Amino acid sequence: MSPVPKPNSALARFPAEVLEAYQRYRTKGDPVAVQEVVIAAVVDYCPARGGPLPAVTDESRLVEDLAYDSVSVAELVFFLEDLFDLTISNDDLLKVRSIGELRACVIRNLATKTPAA
Amino acid sequence: MNPVITGLGVITPIGNDAATAGASLREGRHGLVPVEFLGNPGLPVKVAGTVKGFQVDSPNWRDWSWPAAYPFPKDVLRGLAPHGLYALCAVEQALARAGLRPADVADDPGTGLYCASAGSAMLLHHNLAQMRAVGGVRGNPLGVVSSIAGTLNFNLAAHYRITGTVCGFVSACASSSHALGYAIDDLRLGRIKRAIVVGAEELNADSLLPFAHMRALSRQSDPRLASRPFDAGRDGFVGGGGGAALILEVPATAAGRGAPALAEAAGWGQSADGHSVAAPHPEGTGLLLAMERALADARIGAADIGHVSAHATSTPAGDRAEAVALGRLFAGRGLRPPVTATKALTGHGLSLSGVLQAAFGVLSLTGGFVPGNPHLVLPGPECEGLELPRAALVRSPGRILSNSSGFGGSNVCHVIVPAGSFTG
Repeated sequence: MSPVPKPNSALARFPAEVLEAYQRYRTKGDPVAVQEVVIAAVVDYCPARGGPLPAVTDESRLVEDLAYDSVSVAELVFFLEDLFDLTISNDDLLKVRSIGELRACVIRNLATKTPAA
Repeated sequence: MNPVITGLGVITPIGNDAATAGASLREGRHGLVPVEFLGNPGLPVKVAGTVKGFQVDSPNWRDWSWPAAYPFPKDVLRGLAPHGLYALCAVEQALARAGLRPADVADDPGTGLYCASAGSAMLLHHNLAQMRAVGGVRGNPLGVVSSIAGTLNFNLAAHYRITGTVCGFVSACASSSHALGYAIDDLRLGRIKRAIVVGAEELNADSLLPFAHMRALSRQSDPRLASRPFDAGRDGFVGGGGGAALILEVPATAAGRGAPALAEAAGWGQSADGHSVAAPHPEGTGLLLAMERALADARIGAADIGHVSAHATSTPAGDRAEAVALGRLFAGRGLRPPVTATKALTGHGLSLSGVLQAAFGVLSLTGGFVPGNPHLVLPGPECEGLELPRAALVRSPGRILSNSSGFGGSNVCHVIVPAGSFTG
């Protein structure tokens, strides 16, 4: 039985620069770093089959452009909540359509809590 | 009209395809290996029937590895338990053997899905621990569909777009025999034309060790001594993992597309012991009734059975009850069909057991052999009068009676006969 993973181990499969970005957020509260992590997570949880993903930008829409379904949205949000130790409400989530809106939502929620040391 | 079996697939400790598993059965080659759980060498569980070529110990599917022949996409993998992966691989094999593409069963109201597994204790444990660690405020959104006892139905139905019937069965070690039985009934009743029957179980600390705490597992470290059904020295079962799938069709549907029948599902019967939550009735009365009902359903008698595929798991009480029941049905009438317990080779796959035995029965029929009991040295005294061949017999098994028994006293028996010998 594996132990419940710590946040950093959840990023073990991501490129080193994503882990570095996460550490930058943890140590400096850098919002740009949050964006890098959010985009990496969006790419990782994208359920689209076959072929390379289109470029993921702030304007990319989860459902329309990246083939997200409700299950993969829930998976992505759970991953981000667990990683950043925050809670995204259903009301907030219903307003999120694009990557930029998701990033803003995460940063807004992070601002309401004390960044971890 | 009885349904015919047109496809089968197996992921087992003795081979991950029908040809390899069939050869292992014929040659008496077991798939039991040394194991250590939870990093504790002091546990009395020393061997198990592991599935080779799969690494699925992690609760996160992204850490798994499995044969490249099964390139399932992310949106399929994300909802699976480890045994769900075994099941999917087995179904892929079964469809291919039946000459069906996944598109042939998708959105077809004539196709039904009948599944059996105990769910994933490992994922339940992991997901609930994760939830509790954060005070219950969040959890894996796929935690339910990947871990509860319906996980096979949920995932396979969605992946293959099954629209005829989707159901699951939870009668412990009789579960997939129940799945097979009710699939046969739906086919006979004309409710569907094709059934996919699946059983699967994973093997890990969470799935297996609770049986050690019931004192149901062998403590032996030598595989040949650990799993030796019907032997006087047996001391418990050996756990095994894997998946098995059968495709059954009404004969006209199979014939209409030119699919050869591998075997015929000639009848089945069930009963219950009404005796104990876990132990079998010591005289095997429930199992005897289930066997008699299966024979009656197939419209044959005990004398028509050419081979018995026993449930026998190598537990003292379970094997004794089955031996007594077999003695009353066969030996008491002067009949000696060869009795084989394939769990000597695979270990006990719990819910998987029934459909795996049925698949092995099909392999015996198509391969022209009766598996042996290679680990049997000295049969227990209750086995007197039973024919227990040590090595495989190179001849057609003829009509096969395949037994399953589960906790709570559920007994389910199937009669599987050579293709073309319609009895119904």
